[in-house]
Amino acid sequence: MDRPELVAEVDRAWARPVVLAPVFALISLVGGALPSFSLSANLLVLGAGGALFWLGMSAAVPKRPAPAKLTREAAWWLLPLLLFAVVEGVTFLIGSQAYPTLSRLADPVLEHYPARAAAYYGWLWAFWAMVRR
Amino acid sequence: MSAGQVFIAAAFTVALGLFAAVEIIGRREGSRVPTLGDVCGVVMRYRVGPLPVGRIAMFGFWWWLGWHFLAR
Repeated sequence: MDRPELVAEVDRAWARPVVLAPVFALISLVGGALPSFSLSANLLVLGAGGALFWLGMSAAVPKRPAPAKLTREAAWWLLPLLLFAVVEGVTFLIGSQAYPTLSRLADPVLEHYPARAAAYYGWLWAFWAMVRR
Repeated sequence: MSAGQVFIAAAFTVALGLFAAVEIIGRREGSRVPTLGDVCGVVMRYRVGPLPVGRIAMFGFWWWLGWHFLAR
């Protein structure tokens, strides 16, 4: 009896977590040490983000299947999204240090090297997760 | 930190906590709530003609976010 052939897409060697984890860690360790508004900080973000953008637009990385359409329960995502948007929007419009936006709140935290490097690492992995979609 | 700053920080924390809560619910066996990855996947599939508008918008937003927080 003929059986349907199962085809599984295999990640390229360079796209495996065991390779990407140290690469992203290296970028994060360097990026975390670069001062804000410096040319090198801008170039690293633009370079790393540009490379991931290009990979995401190309067929170089196998994509994970997404659902055909969203269920009605997807509306639950509007709850955190709207709360976040309202708080960010109101604080942006007020424009006061007494009611800071998220970026103003994050600035003093991201001045510290470990937090900045960790944020870099999270940003890269989240970008990679989108590239795979 | 002033009272206003604490209030705003708490509001952002609640929003982020809700993101995490919905994600946890979405990952439970048999859940009808999609995960954030599934929602992003559907958004990223949106095209206008041959142009993958959803993909470009999501990548562009995330790229800008990194630049905003990590380079500025």
